[in-house]
Amino acid sequence: MPPLTPTISRETPFKIDLPDSQLSYLQKKLSLTTLPDELPESGLDYGVPLSDMQRLLARWSEGYDWRKHEAELNADLPQFTRGIDVAGFGTLEIHYVHKKSITNTLKQVLAFSGPGLFIEVRKILPLLVETSKDHPSFHVVALSLPGYGFSEAPRNKGFSLAQYAEVGHKLMLALGYDEYVTQGGDWGSLITRKMASLYGPKYHKAWHTNLPIRPLLFLSHIISSLPIPFLEYTPREKSGLENTLRYYTQGSAYFAVQSKEPQTLGYSLADSPSGLLAWIYDKLRRVSDNYPWDDDEVLTWVSLHLFSRAGPTAALRIYYEVVRSFPEGSSILTMEERTSIPVGHSYFPKEIISLPSRWFSSPYLVFESQHESGGHFAAYEKPVELVDDLRKMFGRGGGAFNVVSSSDGYLSPS
Amino acid sequence: MTAPPDPYPENPFRINVSESQISQLQQKLALTVLPSELDDAGWAYGSPLPDIQRLVTRWKDGYSWKKYEAELNDELPQFMRDITVDGFGTLAIHYVHKRSQIPNAVPLLFVHGWPGSFIEVRKILPLLIETSAEHPSFHVVALSLPGFGFSDGPTKKGFNVARYAEVANKLMLSLGYQEYVTQGGDWGYYVTRAMAVEHGGKHLKAWHTNYPRSASAIHPLRSPLKYLNHLVKPYTVSEQAALDRTAQFAKNGRGYIEIQCTQPQTLGFGLSDSPVGLLAWIYEKLQTWSDTNTYKWSDDEVLTWVSIYWFSRAGPAASLRIYYEATRSGDRDITTATWEVKVPTGVSFFPKEFHLPPRRFLAFGNLVSVAEHTEEEGGGHFAAYEKPNLLVGDLRKMFGKTGGAFGAVTGKNGYN
Repeated sequence: MPPLTPTISRETPFKIDLPDSQLSYLQKKLSLTTLPDELPESGLDYGVPLSDMQRLLARWSEGYDWRKHEAELNADLPQFTRGIDVAGFGTLEIHYVHKKSITNTLKQVLAFSGPGLFIEVRKILPLLVETSKDHPSFHVVALSLPGYGFSEAPRNKGFSLAQYAEVGHKLMLALGYDEYVTQGGDWGSLITRKMASLYGPKYHKAWHTNLPIRPLLFLSHIISSLPIPFLEYTPREKSGLENTLRYYTQGSAYFAVQSKEPQTLGYSLADSPSGLLAWIYDKLRRVSDNYPWDDDEVLTWVSLHLFSRAGPTAALRIYYEVVRSFPEGSSILTMEERTSIPVGHSYFPKEIISLPSRWFSSPYLVFESQHESGGHFAAYEKPVELVDDLRKMFGRGGGAFNVVSSSDGYLSPS
Repeated sequence: MTAPPDPYPENPFRINVSESQISQLQQKLALTVLPSELDDAGWAYGSPLPDIQRLVTRWKDGYSWKKYEAELNDELPQFMRDITVDGFGTLAIHYVHKRSQIPNAVPLLFVHGWPGSFIEVRKILPLLIETSAEHPSFHVVALSLPGFGFSDGPTKKGFNVARYAEVANKLMLSLGYQEYVTQGGDWGYYVTRAMAVEHGGKHLKAWHTNYPRSASAIHPLRSPLKYLNHLVKPYTVSEQAALDRTAQFAKNGRGYIEIQCTQPQTLGFGLSDSPVGLLAWIYEKLQTWSDTNTYKWSDDEVLTWVSIYWFSRAGPAASLRIYYEATRSGDRDITTATWEVKVPTGVSFFPKEFHLPPRRFLAFGNLVSVAEHTEEEGGGHFAAYEKPNLLVGDLRKMFGKTGGAFGAVTGKNGYN
């Protein structure tokens, strides 16, 4: 690998501080909102329920206090920006959270994406940096992917997994972490897997994901797995496969639209806060596991998308670019990505793609855990469990203990 | 002597969008927020920003809905009629109805699709009505499907294709057309197919479509000779081009359909609230599904098509539900039903239709008329609107004196 040049600009502290004009623009839009009708007893079947939307929109117009949540985010999450140069795309200003533990510890980067954001790190952050003689501690970096949060978006076509991986990697180097580990879900899973294949084992030392995927021959691999060998699957595995099938047949339309005609969709998301709320809230509800979303929580997530630096449409393009980057006939589920660094899997039962753990076999698989509850937003829904998994994986006795040569994550030398 | 009472009295209707609706649209347009776009995006990611910017600007300043509303009212005699649907109560149905001068003209029902509307009949209407010794004449009915245009939307779950077919059939019967023929593409195909299956022979006497979606006739057991022939006979250049285009659309052009089939409400919030959102969603289809080599949409034309959705009686979100209901009911299944259609069937192929099976694939029970239009002739998905002369030409052949469906309707062959 050619030597990587350091980033060209310095770290600048960042605080979210939306201009009043944006908040008053939102209020104006909300006051003009036109809602569709709804068929009686549609429930969740036709999409987001009207009563939920009415309640959320009413709250957004009156009662929801953005400044309060903005201040909390700023207090909880130390944020920065810096320029990262991406080959062929120029310099992008990247927004990220960075918090160091007080010890000499492991380094970690977490990658997030839609409809999650850097906000997803908020609950695991204090747990990760916490020090103890009983478990390792981490320095934590969580970036806003280009096009998300307060990161710049790429201006040109073709910004795909390799580019997102490059951003993550260069950010870590820029922060002085020339050896690091990662945790990722959703796009973060694919991006950190790409990082592992590009930058491991020299820089990227180990990776953990809550969305393990592996190449399947084709979708019907799942369908064909169900009937006959079905009897061999445990109830849990069967339920996971059913979840996966349901996702593909009924729950992945957003993926199809975003990967085929993101701009066409993007006009309504950019122009209608109600439309954006419906689009994102559908996901928050559908792919989480009975997580008791508070209205203000939902509104904060959606506000971060609405007021993101690049606008809500930019966040859709990762779907298009990654799908288009695959060779003819292949897809996310069929693409092989060989990695040769220690990897850990956490299985949460309501994840959108839940494959049987015994379909994964790799000499590098050093950690696995199965959970009884939890869905797609593991870091947000199950922070304690997820961090527990990471502590086990990277702690003493764990499969990835001491992967970072300079430190093992404990207060005193082991 | 007074004229006998009209046996089938109708309630005339004129579109009359209110000032408050128009000013609400203007208020929203004034607050439009546009997304960014990648450099040199062109059409690759969807509706291009320069196009949408231009259209929004026109919609705000210069485009006059009232002007086009008046034109529609002048050209298209419209009516409203209450139709009762089993299990769904009564729906107020908006339709166009114009009779030929010849009393025994062939009654024809035209059924639109999505993102179309009753407006799609506007150019074929005068041609169909036209009387001549050389070709048949038609009485024309064109309804707004429930949930579209100025028809009520269904107010209960489960309004699937059979229900749309029921509305259309009952409308024709209520107008005194005990026997009639149909023409339809897009959803018009599915609705008229259901009508042909349900009422074929009794009421629906012949059926024409420009959007043939049938199960393949090539089957090793059902049609072994055809199958063998298919194995050895290569595709023609134009068949191959059509297959490629079909595959391309199947791969890249089907994002909209998945969301409309599975979570129409989730999409519907944005389309109901954002005029530019609705515009972009529909515009993409108007451009990519039509033959832009031979048909140039004017900005005002696009805006009129979109405004019909924006000002529709049931709202834009309601129009998406046909996708959901049809999917849930298995209505979009193409492997059945077409074999069972025994009434005379006619098909027109237009070169830029996005689903274009080779002719040899067609599996209809009684195919009497096939028209294939060349690249030069042109025409895409919105055949009645893009190529009215060609489509009406095909219908005149099918129903003309030497056509396979001549005299399909008892006593009404379209000639004097």
